[in-house]
Amino acid sequence: MGEDDFPDSKKRHTKRAAGRKADKKKQKEQHQQELTAKQRNPKAFAFRSAVSAARTLRRSQDIKERKTHIPVIDRTPLEPPPIVIGVVGPPKVGKSTLVQCLIKNFTRKTLTNIQGPVTIVSAKKRRLTFIECNNDINCMIDLAKVVDLVLLLVDASFGFEMETFEFLNICQVHGFPRVMGVLTHLDMFKDVKKMRKTKKTLKHRFWTDVYPGAKLFYLSGMVHGDYQRMEVHNLGRFISVMKFRPLTWKQAHPYILADRMEDLTPAEEVRQNPKCDRRISLYGYVRGVPLKPDAPIHIPGAGDFRVAALDFLPDPCPLPERSTKSRRSLTERDKSMYAPMSGVGGIVYDKDAVYIELGGSHSHSKKPPADVSADPAGAGADGREEHEDEEEDEDKQLVSSLMTSQHTIDQKMEEAQLRLFSGQQPISSQDAAMKLHYETVSENDGRKRRRVLFDDAEDGQEDGEEGEEGAEEDGESAEEDGGESDKDEGESEEDGEDEDGDVSMEEDAEEAESSLLSVPARSSAGRSSAGREDSEEDSDEESEDEEAAPLKPTAPVPRQNARQLHRLIYGAEPGSSDGAEPEGDTEDQEVGGLFRVVRAEQRDRSGRDEVDRTLPAAGAANLRDWTTEEGRGCIADCFVTGEWKESENASTLLAMDDDGLDSDELDGDFEDMETGEKHQGTAGAAAEAEDGEGEEGDDEMPVHKEKEQLTRKQIIEKKKKLKAMFDAEYDDKEGSSFYDDLKRDLDQQAQLNRSEFDGVEDELRVQFEGYRPGMYVRLEVAAVPCELVAHFDPTYPLIVGGLTTGEENIGYVQARIKRHRWYGRTLKTRDPLIVSLGWRRFQTLPLYSIQDHNGRNRLLKYTPDHLHCTAHFWGPVTPQGTGLLALQSVSAATAAFRVAATGTVLDLDKSAQVVKKLKLVGTPHKVMKKTAFIQGMFTSTLEAAKFEGALCRTVSGVRGQLKKALTAKPAGLVRATFEDHIKMSDVVFVRTWYPMEVARLYAPVTSLLLPPAEKARWQGMKTVGQLKRERGIRVEPNPDQLYTPVERKARQPRPLKVPAALQRQLPYAERAKLGATEGNTLGGPSQPRERVAVVLQPREQKVMKMLNTLRATYDVQQQKRRGLAQDRAKKMVEKRKEDIERFEKRQKRVRKHVYKMLALNAGGGKRGGGGGGGGGGAGR
Amino acid sequence: MHLFLLQLSNILARMSQNKNSSVLSYEGCKNFRMRIVLATLSGKMVKIKKIRAGNDDPGVNESEASFLRLMDKLTNGTRIEVNETGTSVTYMPGLLAGGRLEHACSKQRGLGYYLEPVMMLAPFCKKPLHLTLHGVTNSQMDPSVDQLKHSCLPILRRYLLLADEQLQLKIVRRGMAPGGGGQVFFSCPVQRTLRATQWLDPGKIKRIRGVAYAARVSPAMSSRMVDSAKAVLLKFLPDVYIYTDHYKGEMAGKSPGFGISLVAETTTGCMMTSDVTSQPQGAEGPPSVPEELGTSAAHLLLDEVYRGGCVDSLAQSMMLLYMSLGQKDVSKVKLGQLTPYTIEFLRHLRDSFQTVFRIENVIPTEEEEDLNTGGGKLTLTCLGAGFSNLSKTVS
Repeated sequence: MGEDDFPDSKKRHTKRAAGRKADKKKQKEQHQQELTAKQRNPKAFAFRSAVSAARTLRRSQDIKERKTHIPVIDRTPLEPPPIVIGVVGPPKVGKSTLVQCLIKNFTRKTLTNIQGPVTIVSAKKRRLTFIECNNDINCMIDLAKVVDLVLLLVDASFGFEMETFEFLNICQVHGFPRVMGVLTHLDMFKDVKKMRKTKKTLKHRFWTDVYPGAKLFYLSGMVHGDYQRMEVHNLGRFISVMKFRPLTWKQAHPYILADRMEDLTPAEEVRQNPKCDRRISLYGYVRGVPLKPDAPIHIPGAGDFRVAALDFLPDPCPLPERSTKSRRSLTERDKSMYAPMSGVGGIVYDKDAVYIELGGSHSHSKKPPADVSADPAGAGADGREEHEDEEEDEDKQLVSSLMTSQHTIDQKMEEAQLRLFSGQQPISSQDAAMKLHYETVSENDGRKRRRVLFDDAEDGQEDGEEGEEGAEEDGESAEEDGGESDKDEGESEEDGEDEDGDVSMEEDAEEAESSLLSVPARSSAGRSSAGREDSEEDSDEESEDEEAAPLKPTAPVPRQNARQLHRLIYGAEPGSSDGAEPEGDTEDQEVGGLFRVVRAEQRDRSGRDEVDRTLPAAGAANLRDWTTEEGRGCIADCFVTGEWKESENASTLLAMDDDGLDSDELDGDFEDMETGEKHQGTAGAAAEAEDGEGEEGDDEMPVHKEKEQLTRKQIIEKKKKLKAMFDAEYDDKEGSSFYDDLKRDLDQQAQLNRSEFDGVEDELRVQFEGYRPGMYVRLEVAAVPCELVAHFDPTYPLIVGGLTTGEENIGYVQARIKRHRWYGRTLKTRDPLIVSLGWRRFQTLPLYSIQDHNGRNRLLKYTPDHLHCTAHFWGPVTPQGTGLLALQSVSAATAAFRVAATGTVLDLDKSAQVVKKLKLVGTPHKVMKKTAFIQGMFTSTLEAAKFEGALCRTVSGVRGQLKKALTAKPAGLVRATFEDHIKMSDVVFVRTWYPMEVARLYAPVTSLLLPPAEKARWQGMKTVGQLKRERGIRVEPNPDQLYTPVERKARQPRPLKVPAALQRQLPYAERAKLGATEGNTLGGPSQPRERVAVVLQPREQKVMKMLNTLRATYDVQQQKRRGLAQDRAKKMVEKRKEDIERFEKRQKRVRKHVYKMLALNAGGGKRGGGGGGGGGGAGR
Repeated sequence: MHLFLLQLSNILARMSQNKNSSVLSYEGCKNFRMRIVLATLSGKMVKIKKIRAGNDDPGVNESEASFLRLMDKLTNGTRIEVNETGTSVTYMPGLLAGGRLEHACSKQRGLGYYLEPVMMLAPFCKKPLHLTLHGVTNSQMDPSVDQLKHSCLPILRRYLLLADEQLQLKIVRRGMAPGGGGQVFFSCPVQRTLRATQWLDPGKIKRIRGVAYAARVSPAMSSRMVDSAKAVLLKFLPDVYIYTDHYKGEMAGKSPGFGISLVAETTTGCMMTSDVTSQPQGAEGPPSVPEELGTSAAHLLLDEVYRGGCVDSLAQSMMLLYMSLGQKDVSKVKLGQLTPYTIEFLRHLRDSFQTVFRIENVIPTEEEEDLNTGGGKLTLTCLGAGFSNLSKTVS
């Protein structure tokens, strides 16, 4: 049925021109413009294929996921140390020129002779330290560990050189700092097209090794021996804005790139013994994490040491002060530079001396003659003292006059002591410095704090009367109130603390401990003086009382004063430097700061052997009286049933719930508005208290009136905003993943790390934190080999690497290692290998192994190709996961790639389990059915007894077990059983595992101790192969192990002999027909036997002839007879045939007759059957 | 070659000289365990001399020797040298091995004496620790196993990220003081590094739980203790429930005794514990009365509450240890009064890890001013030592 059948009765659609719908439509069209294409036409953007959509999604998710990194805590402090920029490249590539150009770019100064690191201020918040890496692989390794940014210089006209890739490999292993490639010598290209092509190929090769898209910079040409100004400027800009991701190793270890070294050894000692161990001081910025005093350190190239002394100095190259006017660029004055090894840095103040650079332009303008002092010893070692000619004599005079004195002025000043009162300990200059410090502190802290300390000192003395006498004396002097204020008023209390506090510290400790540390309360500034603090109870009283009667809870609350506690625990007052020992400890001072407190305390015999118990004895605990109501009252609010804080109070929370608002996100106005409207009451009051402004109740009304002026609209708006915040917090929950949470947590932690000790005086802060990164420190190291000083070369970086807990120890290290695919040779087990691991470079003897499926480490003789293996070696304990780099030699000047292997540390232990496969081989001595006695496998019964029960196998694959060691000869005979009968010719072997010992060789590469000419040629232990080659020793090979041509003999099977008895039993046909000849072989004569010719006698011939005739006639007769017989037989057969035919004919006739008769009978009647039968019978 | 070896031996000799500087030396048997524990963790050698040198019974005693033996089992490569009289001990720590161990402790001291240091070390083993200890589970001298379970284990759980099922402390058998015969099973997973924590809100106590046990005595003892303890505690909080546990036969160890262990849990998951044990059989003095024990346990708990802080006095040292072993980040904790043991511990922490804590008084805010929350509190802040478990195998 077509459409035409029905007339179109439906009403045509007409667009509304007016009315509600038309309005709506108009409204819609207005917004049409605002819509995006996707909103306007969603179909065009819908996906057509679910598969491709899924793929797109997956791909985008993949890309997103690849971008995420494990979040790490960024521990860079607020004022970070200068960024270390290493300029690396093969020789003659333009490293020094680049450093010079960059320095010139940043500071507008020219530095011609660059030695060691150069620190400059590059921006308002950024400092840079440039260091050039020489071509020694030791340097490359050391620098790769400390640099933040590498400028990898490549001679584009030549292409990549081995050094570049070696350095990249070193970097990969040690954390991979930022790497920026710089192509130089581009002006050597005459052909632009060729240059472009070269650039491209080099760039792509560089990308494969760093990361795709790594920045490669082009320095196109030279102008007057420098790089082009704009290009260097651009490079500088790149450096200035670069961001750095914290590296694991650097975020866990403190380190210093020393920019200055001084020898502190007394000159006299050096004169007496030039080879004596030296004491040196190193200067540099702390980097990484805070460095603790007395920390173990490693100086790569020199060895392990311990920090002898550490203090911080004013920053020689400070960041510009934050000026009020915000200038974008640095002023000329702020562009400072510090490079002591290169002779730049001006006057340097130090603990021991003032150093003046006499070279360069500084010496004329800045040198105040009064400051001149001498470097105590050996300052001439480095090249700083470049005297100007005209000034030289004057300086020398001055210096030599000062050299005559034994100590420097500073030292003298330091050791000078001042005694104010007789019977008192003298005050040293350090103490004086401390006072100054306290004064500043006291201003912040307020008076009350000091007063209580004085009270405490009193307590201590009263208590300490039983104690030592010296302390008592001091105590008495302090007991009189005037005793302390005799001195300068401004610092009286603090002084008392210094002098008396330290003395009475021990008493404090005992007293406080005995009374479970109930030190009387101090009234803190922020705390209102509640009744509990009014009367101060002496702690000695308390300790006497406590066993007799329980404390009254209403009595003053015993509290531990934090400062007293610190003093009690750590001995020295916070803020006093480490050197300031408590006076009671004078004998112990030389022992060193670390053990002071413990020792002093241990001098007390009774305390030394106290019972080791975590909780104090039940009797000693100061039980309070919990039976009374008021006693219970003092902890009532520790329970949920007690009072809550106002902000946590249920009524407050309820009130806030009613508002549907979160207290944190509110500003005071709105809250008051709400309460002002209707909800006056507890909620309102609570909200009022929330304000925190301390508004009194009386002010409430005016405030509310003011707030009421807010219009309705504003309230709605505010509510909307709050709702949006709420939605953002709750609806978007899906977006916050574990990753986001973790990131947020770590950010918070990083924030806390920066802010926690912010604002604390540096002297105090270093006690808690250690010397934080960014501080310029002076570090003293004792017992340094004299070679380090004597053979010092500033072009070799001097790094101080801090070691964390446990890293100073040596143990067995297990590492996953892979031979570098570019390294030409395989590595042999137990060949010496130079490993760079952590801060250290050392030579060791690794054992290579591979792990079997059951976890057994099976020794490998050589490293496998293209496969990881495990290396066990004796080396420094380094955290798991640390990268490792191996070299066979640091000295050999080879064209080949030098990095032999790379890997990571897997495990550290005090024993190593590497086993070597060992096959014990034996032969059957005697074979029973399935039992065999095996000989030659063991040498003694004892040895054999150890292997009872071991599984064994024959070469032919028959498995068995060793059962028992036998005492019978030969020695070491064992009985073994097998799953089958073995042959005497079988070889039996037992597979065993022999534990290998890892050689305990750990020889640090002491390249810095070598004379300059030999620095790059450190030679450690040589391989056996090397030694043999050098000495021309050839190994006499075991002839058994040599290959010889194989001679195969034709096989001679043995004749088969069948026993006679068996022969006899066989049927004749089966029997060997060999006649009676001897050598009766069954296999038959392979060749015809020689027959003996028989010569007959005439008679015999006759007889023979006769016999032959007779035989012939007989044969003929027989033949005839046989013919006749056959004829007869034939006739007989025919005759019988005829007889049978005849007989059958007759039979047929008879049968015919019989049946006829039978048929007749049957037709006759019923009896026919019987009659037939009878008839039949009759018929016969 | 010979020359090289000579050089090498020189180097090694120099290195060994340097090594000597990281030796901790102490005198006397005081704080014996913490010295050994901190030496083990820091890898530093410790020399303890003059142990009870002037005493009638000089040298290390049975319990200390047993502890050293336990440490030997727990570690690999440890060398312990005790001189003839036993008055000096040299301890060269190896690496913590862990694994499945069993140790019969000396009956002189309770199992808490051994378990406490082991709990400090357990997360830093090579393999997860499964330790069975035999001895006295509850003694008057040492924290009982119940107390450790409720006080220290939650702190351990806070620090271990994968602690769900593996971390457990189970009292298999109770063994009272003189006879012992108790058995405890402790298992702990291993951890590579600890994260810094800030734990400043102790919260308010929401429930009190406890266990009153009686071994080889009448079961009525435990209910008597419960009644008297509840009589005190119910005045503060309605949510008090104390389990009674009666042990018979093999499970009850070899000596009779009873005791009660209480734990108060706050809204933020802080635990305060107290523990009281009866007089051991054959000890001098009057025998313990269950009612008195119950009351004194409750009072001790209230004391602990009064002291306050985020961890109780038993777990203070453990908390501080984990704080100082954290990454190079700032950790903070709010504590009540420090015990003498904790103070000693802080000193030793500085010796071995150079961690110095900043100790500040908590100055109550205006809101908190009027609340009666017991004694003054302290905030202890430190920067972690950046410790990492060097024993753990990575693959």
